[in-house]
Amino acid sequence: MATQPSDYTDFPPEIILKPLALIGLSGLDAVNNAVHKEIWDAFSNNRRPDRAAVRFKLLNNTFEFPVVKPKRNSYEWYIPKGILKKNWIQKRISLIPAVVVLFYDMEWNDPQWNEKIIECASKVQSIRAAVEGHATRVAVVVIQNGQSPPPSEYMLGAERAQALCSACEIQSKSLFVLPHSDHLMGYIVRLENAFYDIAQNYYHHETKNIKQHRDHLNKTTHQYLFVRHQFKLGYLNELKQDFSTAHKHYMHAYNNLLETRTVDTNMHEVRTVAGYINYKLCKLLFALNLPRDAIAQLKSHIERYKNRVGSTELLFEHYAWIARQYSAFGEIFDEAIRAGLPGIQSQHPGFYYQYAAQFTVKRRQAMRSVCSEATKYPPPPDPMEGIVEYYGQRPWRPGRLSADPHDPQKEQAAVLALQYNERVFNHSAMIISFLGCAISQFKTFHSPRMRKQLVVEMANEYYYSADYGKALTLLSHMLWDYRREKWWFLASHVLNRALQSAYLSAKIQDYVQLSIEALSKHIQVPNNDKSRIFKNIISVLNMNIPGPEPDVPINSQNKALEIWQMAIEKDPFVIAVEMVNITSFLEVKPKFKQQRYRMDEMVEVEIYVRLTFETVLEAIKALITISSASESIEIPVTQHGNDTITLEGGKVKRFLCHFKPNPHDNGSELHIKNVSFILGSEKKRKIIMNFKVDDNKAIEPAVHPELLHFILSPKADFEFDSIVPLTVASITPRECKLSISINNSSPALQGEWFPTTFTITNNEDSPVYDVKFALSLLSSPDNPNPESVTELSLKEGESQTQPLQIKAGAIHKASQYSISFYLKTNRTATATVQIKVSYLIDLPDISKLECVKDFSTKITVIKPFEVSTNFVAMNFKPISKCFVDDPFIVMPQIKILSPWDLLIVDTELELMDCFKYSDDTKPPSCISDLEVAEKNIASDAVCIQAKYKPKDTPTRVGLYNIKWRRKNNADGLCVMSSTALSGLPIDECPIAIEVNYPEVVEVQTSVPLKCTLIGKTNTPIRLSLTVEGTDFYMFSGYKKLAVTVPPKDRVELCYNIHPLLTGNTTPPRLKATVLGDTANQEVVREMFEKIFPQNIFVMPKYNK
Amino acid sequence: MAVCVAVIGKDNSPLYIGGIGNDSGSDNELSRQWLVHTALDALEERLTTTGNGAAGANANAARTDMRDLYLGLLYSTDTHKIYGYVTNTRIKLVLVTHSTSPSGSNIRDAEVRAALRRLHALYADAVCNPFHLPGDPINSQKFDKQVKNLMLNNV
Repeated sequence: MATQPSDYTDFPPEIILKPLALIGLSGLDAVNNAVHKEIWDAFSNNRRPDRAAVRFKLLNNTFEFPVVKPKRNSYEWYIPKGILKKNWIQKRISLIPAVVVLFYDMEWNDPQWNEKIIECASKVQSIRAAVEGHATRVAVVVIQNGQSPPPSEYMLGAERAQALCSACEIQSKSLFVLPHSDHLMGYIVRLENAFYDIAQNYYHHETKNIKQHRDHLNKTTHQYLFVRHQFKLGYLNELKQDFSTAHKHYMHAYNNLLETRTVDTNMHEVRTVAGYINYKLCKLLFALNLPRDAIAQLKSHIERYKNRVGSTELLFEHYAWIARQYSAFGEIFDEAIRAGLPGIQSQHPGFYYQYAAQFTVKRRQAMRSVCSEATKYPPPPDPMEGIVEYYGQRPWRPGRLSADPHDPQKEQAAVLALQYNERVFNHSAMIISFLGCAISQFKTFHSPRMRKQLVVEMANEYYYSADYGKALTLLSHMLWDYRREKWWFLASHVLNRALQSAYLSAKIQDYVQLSIEALSKHIQVPNNDKSRIFKNIISVLNMNIPGPEPDVPINSQNKALEIWQMAIEKDPFVIAVEMVNITSFLEVKPKFKQQRYRMDEMVEVEIYVRLTFETVLEAIKALITISSASESIEIPVTQHGNDTITLEGGKVKRFLCHFKPNPHDNGSELHIKNVSFILGSEKKRKIIMNFKVDDNKAIEPAVHPELLHFILSPKADFEFDSIVPLTVASITPRECKLSISINNSSPALQGEWFPTTFTITNNEDSPVYDVKFALSLLSSPDNPNPESVTELSLKEGESQTQPLQIKAGAIHKASQYSISFYLKTNRTATATVQIKVSYLIDLPDISKLECVKDFSTKITVIKPFEVSTNFVAMNFKPISKCFVDDPFIVMPQIKILSPWDLLIVDTELELMDCFKYSDDTKPPSCISDLEVAEKNIASDAVCIQAKYKPKDTPTRVGLYNIKWRRKNNADGLCVMSSTALSGLPIDECPIAIEVNYPEVVEVQTSVPLKCTLIGKTNTPIRLSLTVEGTDFYMFSGYKKLAVTVPPKDRVELCYNIHPLLTGNTTPPRLKATVLGDTANQEVVREMFEKIFPQNIFVMPKYNK
Repeated sequence: MAVCVAVIGKDNSPLYIGGIGNDSGSDNELSRQWLVHTALDALEERLTTTGNGAAGANANAARTDMRDLYLGLLYSTDTHKIYGYVTNTRIKLVLVTHSTSPSGSNIRDAEVRAALRRLHALYADAVCNPFHLPGDPINSQKFDKQVKNLMLNNV
């Protein structure tokens, strides 16, 4: 909790303390006895909120209870001397326990049982004697070692417990056993709750007692007692933790108090007590979770007492009281929020602290108006001495009810004493402390601006209490925010106060910075006297003490002069002011003339400066800082060739700086980092005004940059308002004057080393040297990774790493340089070759200037030819599958696509493992040394056969390699292109058939026909053969027979056929059916189908 | 009767602050500006809670649908009541009245709403001036006169 400032209006601690039932513990020797100490610690330590609402007090033997006042039977002649007695609450919370508990060590089976019981009983008796007159309850706790079972299961124990109760004259429910064993804490908590129950009973009894008094009271003389009794009832109920009943009684007390007649003499007492009751009410309402009611209660409370001012001589007391009401409420509100009550932006404790501060300000005003006379404390006897029995009563007239002061002299002295005390009271400290509390609350509840306002008020308060350093610190922080949001009026207010503080604390850096800002057109200064401020700046520059700020306290001014005298000739000699952060009388807009500068150009920066304050300002120097990738340079800004720059008020000056770009910054950016103006004098003090340019946000103008052009700005001022600052410029390389011509016979063919020649011509005015070329491939959308499929080389047939680096040395003016390179690509897409030329050149003003130029050329790549394959049987009929050991022909066909004539040097079929050439040697190519032109088709033929049946159908028969070159490039390298030929399914037949069918026969001539069946497998195959005869032929031999083809052996069948008709005829054909294993049926049928011809041409027979 | 009217830009800088009455001293001007400036806290809080409230986009859509730019009473102090209004371009209009009007009758919400709508219209007219730069303080005499009239008559 934020500590609250204290004064005489502080609430006494007993009011603030949360009421808890008081339990006295007797018979515990917490000092000497370890067991007792442990028990006491368990009771008293670590009182968490979930434990019973009780407070324990260790009573020693000599503890004395307050004497009971004799009971009053009638109130008829009783006139109360005050409202609330100061000691009543004190008694309830620390002197009169609700329960006294006697702790006594005793085992049920103690050998000296009789002595023990007598001792215990006598102790109880002595306690009874001590509490004589009070209704305090007595209870006994027997401390045991915890080994004997509980009395309910233990006859001896039950008996003896009974005996003990009767000996001590207590009820059995007031006797407790505390076994001192492992679970002490559990027992303690249970005991505690039992005590709490007894205590509640006690307080309930007490309230009944008080209620009985009421009948005796009458309103005329006992108005105070109505208040007092209700307050007591409220308090007792609070002790009982019955908050709503407590609230009801306090409310009665409060209302009764309102009805009392107030005059100047009892005003202080009434409002003091009203404050206490209100405090209790609000606290209870928060505890009952009725925060709105609490707020309403406080509001009406303040409203009721706002006008009960009391004696005007002591007006300040009234305001002090109101302030305390607010601050105390703020505190309990804050407490409630910490206990879980949600606060909102429009209702939180900060407001109440703020009110407290406001009323403390009023209190100070009242003090100023009424206490001006009270210059010294009254002579003895001190009127403030004396003991006051009641809350809020005056020590010099205690307990008096009559309205008139009985001793005017004493009264006067007392008022003087109070006034004097008030005069010496430090109001500022109190206000600052209240504001501090409020500020932290407003911060919590999202009210940054409210917080700022309070901080400014706080700073003002520091200023009044002459703590100028602190005031200055706070104000400079706040100034920042007001400036940022452009609340210039508020900023001016803050700035002027800050300037006063800076002056009074002689802080040169702050003083100069604030003065510079004060000259801004946005800031209003008192009396509109800006020239005085300007003079002060110049004085500080010349190491003279500046003139005082207006309205500064006179007594501080002399002290300020002293510290100025000490400070003026010392550090800081260089005062740097960051002008971008503040608003000032100088506006600067730096601007590159162009967005882009070539390397051989002069960079020009324009600086526009406007001085808004009407004066003539001489800067001894001005610099512009420009940074690039490699360095940061400072360029002096000059005026007519002089360093000194004169600026005139209300006018805009334009300065131009130029410089050569650094050759190292080629391709990078230049940034304007800073513009600084240095004010100086013949003395050594300098003021540096830095206009830093932040890269991230450039200079953020008040107006949107696009709108700047709409501002109507005087032509004479270079249209200053419309200038958009340009703080970044890029440096580009010098323009290159080389040209290129490229010579090649495009399109290139896939796979060939394609030559290209390029020629560079030097069109520069002077020779270039150290010429370098870098050749690389550029990726394009249709050719994303050209490096992986394309090779570049300077030598045919030899790939080199990319980019190709070529050093060409010097090229003279108007001369040429040629280079050839080769490109080989396996992808038919456009290849883009970049040729990067870099060289050095000596220009008249720059030597060794590096120039760079990129050229690029596109080369289209196409396929030279396309290869397709046909598979045919030995009779050139197309086939879709082949059989093992059954030869067939592969026919690759090469279709020429190249626009250039080609020479096919050689071809070769590289077979897969499962195929072999049917011939024993590799056959020569049919199409070697063949010249072909576009759209020609070259066909090759190779006879092969399958060796075995692989698991999977082969995807290709083999690779077909074609060696070729361009026809016109007779001495060039041959290109080897490989194409995969598509695959052919291979099947296995258990038998092979050889038949010697003639191609042509003569009619009416018998032809012998031998058919051989060869077994291929390891098992014999049984076949049933039939001859399918036709009308064209007669034949002889078995028409139908069954044969067994032995494994790896052959069976021969002989037939004679005799054609009867001429023409294309179908001969008789053998058909076979596999007997037994039918799995091969289909293959065998196909084999027979394939081997036996469909037709034979029969020639007519000529008579010879 | 309105004692003060303010137009505040979207970057929270004051575009116009007008007050009427016999209080032309700088102390009054100061307290008036404090009042308006601190009202921004409440305004911003309202805007953020409506902007990304529990229902999020839904609530937002509902808000734009209703097109109710009037935010109602922002807060009240012992002496003043402060009402807020936000245009679609986040220009904030603030109207300050005395807590209790001299005649004793309380100011009705509808009247304030009407006055702020009228002020919005006046503001729109003022910024339509081609010589006015958006974001600059408004220093049109006509606007000033109209606003002063509005403060005197309407509420």
